[in-house]
Amino acid sequence: MSLIARGAPARPSSDAGAGVVAPSLLERLGDVSGWRRAGLTLGAYVASLALFGAVVGTQHANPLSVYDSIVHSALLDGGSLAAVVLRAVPIVLAALAVSVPARAGLVNVGGEGQLIVGAVGATGVGVALGAAVPGPLGWLLMALAGFGAGALWGGLAGLLRVSVGANEAVTTLLLNFVANDLMLYLLYQPWKDPTGGGQPESRPLVASEILPKLFGSSVNLGVIVAAVVALVVHVLLKRTGWGFALRVVGGNQVAARRAGLPVHRLMVSSMATGGGLAGLGGMLYLAGTQVQLLPGGTATYGYIAFLAAFLGRHEPLKVVVAALAFSAIAVGAPGLQLDYGLDGNVVDVLLALIVAAPLALSANRKKAF
Amino acid sequence: MNGIEQALTTGVEGGTVILFPALGELIGQRAGIVNLGTEGCMLAGALAAYAVAAVTGSAWLGVVAGFVAGGAVGFAHSWLVVRRKADQLASGLVLWFLAIGLTSVLGTTYVSRTVNALPIVKVPGLGSIPWLGTILFTHDPLVYASYVLVAVVWWALYRTRVGLVLRATGERPEVVSVAGRRPELVQIAAVTLGAALAGIGGAQLSVGYVDSWFDDMTNGYGFIAVAVVLFAAWRPLLVLLGAYVFGVALAAASVLQAHGVAVNQYVLDALPYVVTLVALVLFARSGGSRAPEGLSRALTNTS
Repeated sequence: MSLIARGAPARPSSDAGAGVVAPSLLERLGDVSGWRRAGLTLGAYVASLALFGAVVGTQHANPLSVYDSIVHSALLDGGSLAAVVLRAVPIVLAALAVSVPARAGLVNVGGEGQLIVGAVGATGVGVALGAAVPGPLGWLLMALAGFGAGALWGGLAGLLRVSVGANEAVTTLLLNFVANDLMLYLLYQPWKDPTGGGQPESRPLVASEILPKLFGSSVNLGVIVAAVVALVVHVLLKRTGWGFALRVVGGNQVAARRAGLPVHRLMVSSMATGGGLAGLGGMLYLAGTQVQLLPGGTATYGYIAFLAAFLGRHEPLKVVVAALAFSAIAVGAPGLQLDYGLDGNVVDVLLALIVAAPLALSANRKKAF
Repeated sequence: MNGIEQALTTGVEGGTVILFPALGELIGQRAGIVNLGTEGCMLAGALAAYAVAAVTGSAWLGVVAGFVAGGAVGFAHSWLVVRRKADQLASGLVLWFLAIGLTSVLGTTYVSRTVNALPIVKVPGLGSIPWLGTILFTHDPLVYASYVLVAVVWWALYRTRVGLVLRATGERPEVVSVAGRRPELVQIAAVTLGAALAGIGGAQLSVGYVDSWFDDMTNGYGFIAVAVVLFAAWRPLLVLLGAYVFGVALAAASVLQAHGVAVNQYVLDALPYVVTLVALVLFARSGGSRAPEGLSRALTNTS
């Protein structure tokens, strides 16, 4: 057995039980190691929550009331559920951007940069078009621009991986910083809104370009699009030859090549698709929530998405659940700042600890091989 | 001081910020473990150094604190990866995220504090050499320590038994266990020591190079350090060169602006990352074949 941990996120977990007959409920109840695993899992998450409690304790905040207020601000306050769903839009799409390449064994940490270039592309198209085209056509063109820009950004990292062997985790990370500087350059010079009072902001989108709100709430069309896209990605990965081929590549590249699969093309296409999804997320967030390009607009959603994708074990539907949960925690951040004087980034600690729990349990996970 | 001299001098100073974590990352990767959390180790080191320097008044105690804080983050990474079999890349990123949050929370009180920064010490004799003296020998002592460290790492890696065991661990851990050593312990020690060096890099940043603490001040330098190790193909002397190339790219922004050259600031800010990407493209293929075998498995997600 190798002492080096294999890429866990790359392993398609759905084939973990392939060829194994599912144990009956009775067998599972009698499975002592299963109970032990469940206990360990519970213990790891409790330990994570306790550690976070200790961290806020050092800041003279009562851990229990901090947890209470996270739950309150996320779920119980009027309107905040809508805020959670809205914020989940970029997180869900950037998380899917991690999960698609992960199927092919690739680590895309570039969700942040891909969100940014998606928003940049959509802004470019949106501001140029203005009111020249009817709303739905404008949305479509902006979405294409966002997807295309993100696909270029992600596809570039994929191309560097297969052509010169540059590790995609490192290149996507570096490209995040380049994307951010590109956006700042545009916002401070060519795209700066001359009527914006000197602020580094783009011109706002015109009213017809802004995604319409639904059901008389603040939830907009972007939420529906994100949900549909998540379902489409689920189907693509589970039910199409492309999705199957990606899993073969992620499982064993050599075998995939011997089976005649175009391994390199599959790898690049998974990175481009992932980047495109995040780019679309950037567009939806721009056209639905932000309405104009702002510095720091993505607020580390790309990185939160990476954690969510990992927690959801790259299964699109589970990833959506994880993204919603993380969005809820992120929505609680300003409240913690207001009520307890805690730095807003304190929620990063909680998110990281939540994901550290399954990492720490990797050795106890049942493995198919 | 002309522009080139100034860019190179600042380049060495800023390059040192990358050199420490890159040498540390080289040690860990030679043992077969990637630490993308290097960025987090640097952040932890930067804050620990700054906080201790602010409280005690001694930048040197700060450097020690940076070493310890970086090592602590690295130990957590090595424990997760080696003992708990966690995915290396994911574990590193999770620890980075943890460090961002923790340093923001714990660092708020130090944002406006001032410290006695590391002193600039001109080396007697060497510092008086025209041109080179300014570029290489008019710095804070951590810069000189980094010169020595490059030599020590090179020597230890290629000329000592410890280095042999380390390299063997990265290539074939099973051979190491047959030889009666425990590869897991070697990996934990290597990653922890490497991360502690990244902590010193963070200290050089906060109490040497910029003399302040602010949120997320490492700004991706830890990721650049990881990239430097990859394109330097795990060789200490090339790591030194790569770190300084980065340092000059970092310094170019301030120097060009000081000389009134009209280049957009954000184009210059992107320069270090672009330079690193280009270097990866140019050298990744030739370096890849030199990768420690255990490491390439982790980097390409194949077994």
